Amino acid sequence: MITKQAFEQVSPVEWEIPRGFREDMRVPVRVFANSRLLESALKDKSIEQAVNAATLPGLVGRVLVMPDVHQGYGFPIGGVAASKLPDGVISPGAIGYDINCGVRLLASSVSYTEAEPLLKDLASSLYANCPSGVGVKGSVPLDKRQLEEVCRKGAAWAMKNGYGRKEDLERTEEQGGLDGADPSSVGARAVERGRPQLGTLGAGNHFIEVDVIEEIFHPEAASAMGLEQGRLAVQIHCGSRGFGHQICSDYVHEFQSAVQRYGIRLPDRELVCAPLNTPEGRRYLSAMACAANYAFANRQILAHHARRSFEETFAGRLKGWDLHQVYDIAHNMGKIEEHTLDGEKVTVCVHRKGATRAFGPGFAGLPKEYLAIGQPVLVPGSMGTGSWVLLGTERSMAVSFGSTCHGAGRTMSRSQAKRTIRGDQLRQHLEDKGVRVRAGSMPGLAEEAPQAYKDVDAVVEVVVQAGIAAKVARLRPVAVVKG
Amino acid sequence: MAINVSSCFSSVLIRSFIYSDYTQVVWIHKEPEAHYTEYMPSKYYEELEHTADWALHVWGANFEELLRNAAAGMQHLAGIEPSLEDGVTRVFELEAQDREQMLVRWLEELLFHIEARHAAFSVQVIEVTGDRRLVASVVETPASPPKKAIKAVTFHNLRVEDTPRGVEATIVFDV
Repeated sequence: MITKQAFEQVSPVEWEIPRGFREDMRVPVRVFANSRLLESALKDKSIEQAVNAATLPGLVGRVLVMPDVHQGYGFPIGGVAASKLPDGVISPGAIGYDINCGVRLLASSVSYTEAEPLLKDLASSLYANCPSGVGVKGSVPLDKRQLEEVCRKGAAWAMKNGYGRKEDLERTEEQGGLDGADPSSVGARAVERGRPQLGTLGAGNHFIEVDVIEEIFHPEAASAMGLEQGRLAVQIHCGSRGFGHQICSDYVHEFQSAVQRYGIRLPDRELVCAPLNTPEGRRYLSAMACAANYAFANRQILAHHARRSFEETFAGRLKGWDLHQVYDIAHNMGKIEEHTLDGEKVTVCVHRKGATRAFGPGFAGLPKEYLAIGQPVLVPGSMGTGSWVLLGTERSMAVSFGSTCHGAGRTMSRSQAKRTIRGDQLRQHLEDKGVRVRAGSMPGLAEEAPQAYKDVDAVVEVVVQAGIAAKVARLRPVAVVKG
Repeated sequence: MAINVSSCFSSVLIRSFIYSDYTQVVWIHKEPEAHYTEYMPSKYYEELEHTADWALHVWGANFEELLRNAAAGMQHLAGIEPSLEDGVTRVFELEAQDREQMLVRWLEELLFHIEARHAAFSVQVIEVTGDRRLVASVVETPASPPKKAIKAVTFHNLRVEDTPRGVEATIVFDV
C-alpha cells in the first residue's frame, strides 16, 4: 500500500514518487493534487496503478496524475504517459476501451432567463432526438463501406452527409479526423458492433447537458469562444461506442502474445503493449485512429441532433437559438506529438486516459481565433454541480506533455452509490434544484449522482494553481439527458 | 467436473461460421423444448467495491464452474432479465493461451451477443481442455436490453487461482 510518505512534495499542488520507489519503475510519477485530493487518491489503487504504468518500456519524463484521478484498470483514470519513438510502446489499456471518449461544447445566444419556461421541452426534445441507452441503434445505420469511410474521414464524413458545418471541423481536435486510420486493421466483430451505433450517446457516465454560462473568468478567451454570461450552452460527452470497445478488446488480446515476443515484463496484464516500430504497434495505432474518427463523427451527429432540438424548441419563440461549436476534445487517446524534454525536441506517443490535451498559445493545429489564447479544455463536472471551460498553457506544455484534468473524478463506487442513493429521489432533488433530468435508467442515474464525484471546483483550482490550465468560464447544469 | 459434450453436439449441428479470427461460434438447431433456466445462486459470486468500474469475485469447485458462475454474475451485474420465451441452444467454442485469457474471452463472447441480440444465457454444459480450448452449450433466451452497460472485460490483476474451496478469480469490468 502506498502512503503519503512515499512522496516528495514539489509544490503545494505537486507530489512526486521518485523512480527508485520500486525497482521496475522506468520514470517517476508526479501527482497534481492538494493535500486533501492526494489523500483521496490514496484511498483506492489509483497511485499503485500509476506506479505500474511507470514500468512501460520507452517512457520518458514522468507518469503524470491529474487531480481528478481515480482507480481504473491497469492504468489509472486521470493518467498521462509518454513513450519515445521509435521503439517506445503503445498500450491500448493506457488509452482505454472507450477510445476518444471526449466532450464537445456548443454555445448559443439564448438567454437562460427567457428560455427557462421552455427547458422542459428542450430536455424532452434532446432525449427524443439523441438515441441513448445500452446497445441502442443509432440514427445513421452504416453499411461496411460507409463505416470504412467514417474510419478514414471522421467528423468530415458526418459533415459531408449533412450533419455539420465546416467551422465545426476547424474547432475540433485534429479537425475531427486522425491521420493513419486504416480500416483493414479493424476486426470483423468491431465492424459488426460499429455499423448500427453511429449517432448514439450510450449509457454510463455519458450525457448531453444544457448549461447556463454562470461566470466568465477570462473575457478575451470567452469572447473568442462566443461564450456570454447568462446564455445557454450544450455539452456532449460520449465516445466510440461498441466499435472502440471491441477494437481495444481485440488488441489487448493480441498484445498478450506480443509482450512475450518482445520480451516485455509488466506488473499487470491489462498494461500489455507493443513497440510503436513493430507491425503490432503500428496496426493498433491505425485501428485506434479508426475508433477515434468514429467517435468524432459520433459527436458531430449528436451535435446536429442537439441543433435540431434547439430549433424545435426555440425557433419562432426566442432569438439566438443557433448553436455554434466552441470545441471538441478527446480525453482517452494516444497521440504522436512533439514535445520538448530537457531542452531537446522529442517525438512521443502521449497516452491520455481520463486526461485532456491542453496545448498552449501558438500551437499550429488551433483555429486562428484560438491561436493567441491557447486550446480550449472542456471539464465536465457532475450533473448537479458545474463544469468548466479552461485553456491550455505554456506550463502545461513544459511539465505535463500538454495535458490537464478531464472532469471531477469519482470518489464513491457505483455499488455504494446505488446502496445509498435512489435514482427517483435524486431525480426529484435535481429537478428541485432546477436541473431537468431525462434518464433511461434510475439505478444508472443513482450511480452518477453528484455525491459520487469529487468537487470539480477543487480539481480545477489545483490545475490552475499548478499552471497546467487557466480558467475561462464556469457552467451550471439546467437540463441533463442520460442513457 | 468436466462433462464430455461432443456426442450431444454432433447430432444437432446445422451450420458454423467464424465471427473473428479467434472465436468460432457454432450455431445449432433451435430446440423448442429448450428453456431458459435460472441463474446460479448469487453465493457463487460477489461484487467488490471499485471506485469507477465493477469488480466481481467469482468462485467454483473447478474452472468450468468458475466460468459458469462468472457468466451468471456478469449477467446479474448487467441487469439482464430473460423473457419467458423458448430458448435456443447454442454452442460456443473458444481458444486461449491460458485460463485468464479463457475467462476473459468467454465473458466477452457472451457480452457481444447480449449487446447485439438482447439475449440472456444459461450455461448447460461446459468443457475446457488443457486450459486452452473451451466448448460450451448454452441456452440463449430473448431478454430485455441490459440495464447497465459493460464496455469490456479486463485483464486487470486477473489471476485464476486454485484455492481450498476450488478455483477463484476477481474480474474487473470497464463500465
